[in-house]
Amino acid sequence: MNKRDEALRRLEEFALKLLEQIENKQPPYMEIPSRTLSNTVWDPERKMLLLGPAKFRRELFDMKEARKFMQTVLMLKLLVQAIREGVYPTIRDLYYHGKHTIEFIDHLGRKQKENTWDEQTESNAVLQDIEVATGLLREEMGISADVKGKMVGPIIVRSRGYEIDCTRMGEGAFGLPPNPDDLEIVKIEATYVLCVEKDAIFQRLNREEFWKRENCILITAKGMPDRATRRMLRRLWEEYKLPVYILTDADPYGWYIYSVYKSGSIALSYESERLACPGAKFIGLTTSDIIEYRISDEYVIAATDRDIKRATELMKYPWFQSPHWQKELKLFLKLKKKVEIEALSTHGFKFLHDYIIDKIHHGKFID
Amino acid sequence: MSVDLARETYRGLSPAEFFYRNKEIAGFSNPARALYQTIRELVENALDATELHGILPDIKIFVDVVDPGKNIVKVRVEDNGIGVPKEEVPKVFGMVFYGSKYKIRQSRGVFGLGVKMAVLYAQITTGKPVYVKSSTIDSKEIYEFEVMIDVINNRPIVLSHRSYRKDNQWHGTVVELTIEGNWSYAKKRIEEYIKRTALITPYANIYFKGPDIELAFTRATRRIPKPPREGLPHPKGVDIEMLKQMIAMTEENLSLRDFLIKYFDGVGKISAETFLKWAGFNPEQSIKTLTLEQLDELARKMREYSGWKRPKDISLSPLGEELLRRGIEEVLKPEFIATVTRKPSSYIGNPFVVETAIAWGGKIPPSEKPILYRFANKIPLLYDEGADVTRKIVDSIDWSVYKVKFPAPLLVVVHICSTKIPFKGVGKEAIAEVPELEEEIEAALRECARKLRMYITKKEKELELALKRVTFMKYLPEVASALSYITGKDRAHIERNLIDILEAKLRGS
Repeated sequence: MNKRDEALRRLEEFALKLLEQIENKQPPYMEIPSRTLSNTVWDPERKMLLLGPAKFRRELFDMKEARKFMQTVLMLKLLVQAIREGVYPTIRDLYYHGKHTIEFIDHLGRKQKENTWDEQTESNAVLQDIEVATGLLREEMGISADVKGKMVGPIIVRSRGYEIDCTRMGEGAFGLPPNPDDLEIVKIEATYVLCVEKDAIFQRLNREEFWKRENCILITAKGMPDRATRRMLRRLWEEYKLPVYILTDADPYGWYIYSVYKSGSIALSYESERLACPGAKFIGLTTSDIIEYRISDEYVIAATDRDIKRATELMKYPWFQSPHWQKELKLFLKLKKKVEIEALSTHGFKFLHDYIIDKIHHGKFID
Repeated sequence: MSVDLARETYRGLSPAEFFYRNKEIAGFSNPARALYQTIRELVENALDATELHGILPDIKIFVDVVDPGKNIVKVRVEDNGIGVPKEEVPKVFGMVFYGSKYKIRQSRGVFGLGVKMAVLYAQITTGKPVYVKSSTIDSKEIYEFEVMIDVINNRPIVLSHRSYRKDNQWHGTVVELTIEGNWSYAKKRIEEYIKRTALITPYANIYFKGPDIELAFTRATRRIPKPPREGLPHPKGVDIEMLKQMIAMTEENLSLRDFLIKYFDGVGKISAETFLKWAGFNPEQSIKTLTLEQLDELARKMREYSGWKRPKDISLSPLGEELLRRGIEEVLKPEFIATVTRKPSSYIGNPFVVETAIAWGGKIPPSEKPILYRFANKIPLLYDEGADVTRKIVDSIDWSVYKVKFPAPLLVVVHICSTKIPFKGVGKEAIAEVPELEEEIEAALRECARKLRMYITKKEKELELALKRVTFMKYLPEVASALSYITGKDRAHIERNLIDILEAKLRGS
């Protein structure tokens, strides 16, 4: 709760700055870092996608920004209100709660109506603006969201006073809370973290007790990672120095998922500082695995035009510039072949375990 | 010889008979057009009888359908003009080529033919004579006539006449004609004609009553533009027929030099002699001795010569920018008016003045291209707009340069004053393409258009400011209430401050 109070203080501070301008009879404005592609920069040192230094001024008395200024202040109020009232609204709640009709008289003396916002994209956008302007993330402000992430393995956490032992989940798993920072990590005995792209593979490895055999934490976000899963992974790597390994399909989509875990996404580069996990290593699958692990033709799928296009784009990203990745991407573009994780069954159902262990214990990964 | 024979036949035809046979030329081609034309002729005579003599026109027009089954219509026009002298009435209304307009000056009708055409038309369609009641300013009596035209001999036939003592100050003329005319077909044009006439004569009271319509235009000003003075023809505008007529009418036996000095505009002793020397004529030669070949040569040289002085414009009477504005204001009730009266100019010896106006907004309906009101010597031109050079010029202008986006409430007025309007064809409803005239029309229109652009720009700025105020004002309560909730500061106080800041900012912009 202390963290939320801190968030409240910073939101109030943001509003007070505006009030101060108004008291000084200055046209009020706010400075917001630009969330544009051109203001997304790759930091090779920290191996993260970060928000650049560009900022823009949002002025109330600017025809283009007036409506957004109003929406931003309205969102600010909703966030403050949620914290003050001790509630945890979703972004959709915020949208509904803030949506109402403004009545006004136009320049021809006619009565007119306008909604504070029409679409949720509008309220979402100003929420993101507040996040970047205040340096607070929505999780810190207590905003609920859909969380896909879950984990199992030798870790004990405390949530709202209840201890949860993730080795005692049976065939289930621990569903991550919207803000993993609220979790107190009581005890960790794992030696590494294995993050898998697909829920089905997670379930297999869980039921086959792979984590018990390897003494690792198993985690998944069921596809494109959400913020909570990324934050959890980051904490495990940063706070407990656990090695993190990522397992995805051998296609550009899977590789991009890996890069989001590791470096952050273009759309949410402002969150990288908190969500990216630069230490994450990629254990596969790669295109060269098709050859090295002699995956039989029945499991190999021809790449689509979209896959080719996507791979060509990946080749240009700064965070795919390592010789290892360039070699893999070139091979993919040459062979035009992809495989799923399930293709490892080419050598029997158990081969999935052997493959992962081989990759991790023999250091066959891409950094 | 067939040519001689034709000439013989032509000579044998009386002017009345000639026009009787060619009534389409004068605009009497069908009952609707004829009704319109009749009203036009009578109204224009009424206006000439008043304003040319400095009298504020007071004109009443009545149209009654006498026999709807047969399209028989009675037209009556009353004016407060100088009146027609009693002894002249039969000839003025009953003899073709008789009138008071055989002079070089701007007037509505050119040959005074129109009324006789209307009389002839009445005569052939209904067999009714023209009824005329008149009195001149210094006449002691009022007189009434019923006149018909003896078509074969071009002579008036007076059917009835009576005079009586005048007890009041009344002077003017009342003319009544019963013709075949189609009111329902002509109604719209006539209404338009009356409206446009009122626009171009803002110093006139015009009252019109038709079978199902009543229009009343009250004068917007008591100022009448200075009446045109009589002028002489300009030497550049002559042709051989004109020279022949002028020489025939000259009773004295003048030398070529003296003839030029006496009967042409802007010709003095030196300019006459310089020209004749240049043209290879003996200045002392008597005009009566000129052969046909010499006349032809003289006319040609007079047209070719570039040393003539510019024609004087004393014979022109434009409305002027102020009166034009008043007329447009009164009749069209627009939001904005720009008027321009250009300096006099000339084409082949004929002086002319162009005046234009642009009316914008207000009661003017938006349309896909500019609405055009054309006038020639204060006569509204309603037919053949597509063939008119003015329409061509208006359409060639890129109005977006002047910030006009169609559909737009834009009306263009073009008034051409000249001793000789260059009409296209015999209909006299469309102006021909004369380069000098085109240049003046375009220059005048562009000048008006620039004023319009300035006005639109000003309005845009005002609108922008108003839109800004509305846009910002509508968000202020929302912003104030949110900030008040977060900071605990009084909502009304924040909103007042915001309004102050906004007002200061808007004043600055």
